[in-house]
Amino acid sequence: MNAIILSAVWGVIMMFSSILFKNKGAFKYIAAIGLIVLTVANIANTYGCDFFNINTHEMLRYTRFGLFFNTIAFLCTLIYVLLSGKEIEKHGNYVAEYYALIFFVLCGVSILTSFNNLLMLFLGIEILSIPLYILTGSDKRNLKGNEAALKYFLMGSFSTGLMLMGIALIYGGTGSFQIDVVRSATLFGTFSGISFLEVAGLLFMLVAMAFKVSAAPFHFWTPDVYDGAPTVFTSFMATVVKAAAFIAFIKLFEVRIADTSAVINWGMLLSLLIIATLLIGNITAVFQQSVKRMLAYSSIAQAGFMLFAVFSLNDFAKEGLILYAVAYSLATIGSFAILAKMKDITFEGFNGLAKSHPVLAATNTIFLLSLAGIPLTAGFFAKYYMLASVVKTGHYLWLVILGVLFAAVSVYYYFRVIQAMYFKEGDAQAEDVTPGFKIGLIIVAALIILVGIYPQVVLNWLYF
Amino acid sequence: MPIQYYIALSVCLFCIGIVGVLTRRNVIIIFMCIELMLNSVNLLLVAFSKMYNAPAFAANPASTVGIDGQLFVFFIMVVAAAEVSVGLAIIVMMYRNTHSIDVNFLNRLKN
Amino acid sequence: MGVTSILFWSLSALALISAIMVLATKNPVHSVLWLIVVFFAISGHYILLNAQFLAIVNLIVYAGAIMVLFLFVIMLMNLNTATEPKKNLWMKLAGIISGGSLFLILISVVRSSVDMSQKSALVKDGNIGLIDTLGKVLFNEYTIPFEISSILFLSAMVGAVVIGKKN
Repeated sequence: MNAIILSAVWGVIMMFSSILFKNKGAFKYIAAIGLIVLTVANIANTYGCDFFNINTHEMLRYTRFGLFFNTIAFLCTLIYVLLSGKEIEKHGNYVAEYYALIFFVLCGVSILTSFNNLLMLFLGIEILSIPLYILTGSDKRNLKGNEAALKYFLMGSFSTGLMLMGIALIYGGTGSFQIDVVRSATLFGTFSGISFLEVAGLLFMLVAMAFKVSAAPFHFWTPDVYDGAPTVFTSFMATVVKAAAFIAFIKLFEVRIADTSAVINWGMLLSLLIIATLLIGNITAVFQQSVKRMLAYSSIAQAGFMLFAVFSLNDFAKEGLILYAVAYSLATIGSFAILAKMKDITFEGFNGLAKSHPVLAATNTIFLLSLAGIPLTAGFFAKYYMLASVVKTGHYLWLVILGVLFAAVSVYYYFRVIQAMYFKEGDAQAEDVTPGFKIGLIIVAALIILVGIYPQVVLNWLYF
Repeated sequence: MPIQYYIALSVCLFCIGIVGVLTRRNVIIIFMCIELMLNSVNLLLVAFSKMYNAPAFAANPASTVGIDGQLFVFFIMVVAAAEVSVGLAIIVMMYRNTHSIDVNFLNRLKN
Repeated sequence: MGVTSILFWSLSALALISAIMVLATKNPVHSVLWLIVVFFAISGHYILLNAQFLAIVNLIVYAGAIMVLFLFVIMLMNLNTATEPKKNLWMKLAGIISGGSLFLILISVVRSSVDMSQKSALVKDGNIGLIDTLGKVLFNEYTIPFEISSILFLSAMVGAVVIGKKN
């Protein structure tokens, strides 16, 4: 409960701070303090110290997995705020409100990591989405941003409609909104106690969650939205929010897939989803001319890898998802922070960056290597755990081979950026960066390498 | 009333809403079709809640079995109201810049 | 055929016809008005199911507030004439076919779920739809989601102001 209440309260504090402070630069530090408070409170909650003793009637249930993901989300947001705070200040006069919305999104994240009732899932998804529609459209004069906000909003509410239909059918089939529902095994006219309505509802939920995590064939909004939204907010959307949606996905299907596997072949369905996502994400990313759009498509491809966790649903999968969230969030936040400083965001714009800004080029290389999954970076172990989780289930081993193949394809388009930075002649134009920004980038890069060498520094916290 | 009639009715309304979202280009009408989808879900939830209430009510008239469904409808209405306020703000913002409420207005500008 | 079934079928027919009219009319204002008719029909269904509180709230929130907001925006933009660009005929056909096939699949699910064929919804009776029963459960067991929905409203409010205000 700590994280949910404090993130909402700090959102309100951010709103009021815009009355007290006229200097735009101050908000970044207030937000950073808030994130540190949230992290500390959440760690206290993890070790049994809940400040608010509220009876949730089993609607929320705290697990080590969910609480640990909260900590990761807060720390990633802290890094994001410290790195990209300057960029947020450039978008109009509502800086404090943007931070407030980010805190509300974090409230949604902490609901999604602890829900035990479909009502809380629904509210959590909505609290996560509504602030994002606004952040997407925050650049009001930009036509592309307007279109992105509109598309995101329409697709978001359409998928909400599908999700609600799914919830209604599940309720019809089981008579309860709880995730771990107790069924009467001898229900008349059903297949081993599973109502057809529940299965239909779960399929609706699958489609709706695929919309939210942008898995193909429900990905078509992602490139336009990620491309059209202001770069700072894209980086937040593509990292913390997406990982949280995956946590909700895995929490929802963890129980239900095992229950209903007698009626429906989930393995086949999910592997089709994974193949489509990997294929479309990777192949279209190869043909992009703008780095921002390439990263948008590559985020679809990364979603394909995260779907492996939903496919295998074992301990390896959970560890892998945590590791993936860390690796992917750090690398994407870093590389979007650099992208936001570039004058020209096509591949040509990066030509010769190594000469003009050696630190940016070197750290960006590490981020891209991590996204591609090269050994000694965090991305390698993230992908390794995902594939290992599939091996451990013992079925569908050809999925592993496909995963490795598509990881190899992804190396191509990430290396195009590295090649442009180091081996092409040109005068890459970037805005002036402060020494603090460079130090921040170096710290993020160091973290990625640290996790890449000792993944246990992250994973051990899941158990101790 | 047999529950299957209610399920069929709300599925029918839901699919009309989906067809509307897929075939119209006017943003406001698409948005109204989404509201129609939400309403069909509400009707289905209330029907299910009364379905689960029926045997419990026969045994004990004060029983609240099945009330969850009706409370869920309450929250759907809350969320729909919040979504409408944000959605219409986005539509108005877009209209100020482009004077169009076509979904694919940027594609049209390119041509 | 009793009064209940006559009411059920006529309300259902009203809801379906006006839902189709929402799509079929060119003029957005007419669409809004037809949608309000749908909401009234659904409220009628709620009354039939003795969900009195939801019936009233449905009218107040949907027909009263949300639809007025829609009409207001339509008037603000002066869209009361049909100016919608033509959508590609093939796209329209594809939309209708995919919606129709979803409908067929769902209907077949409903027909084949044998566990539902024995059950019926309690009409005209039962007291779970009354305001005091709903209120007691809402403020006892559903306090957490109730409070959390206030965060949702707060973020929607902040958002509408951020987006709607001129720079």
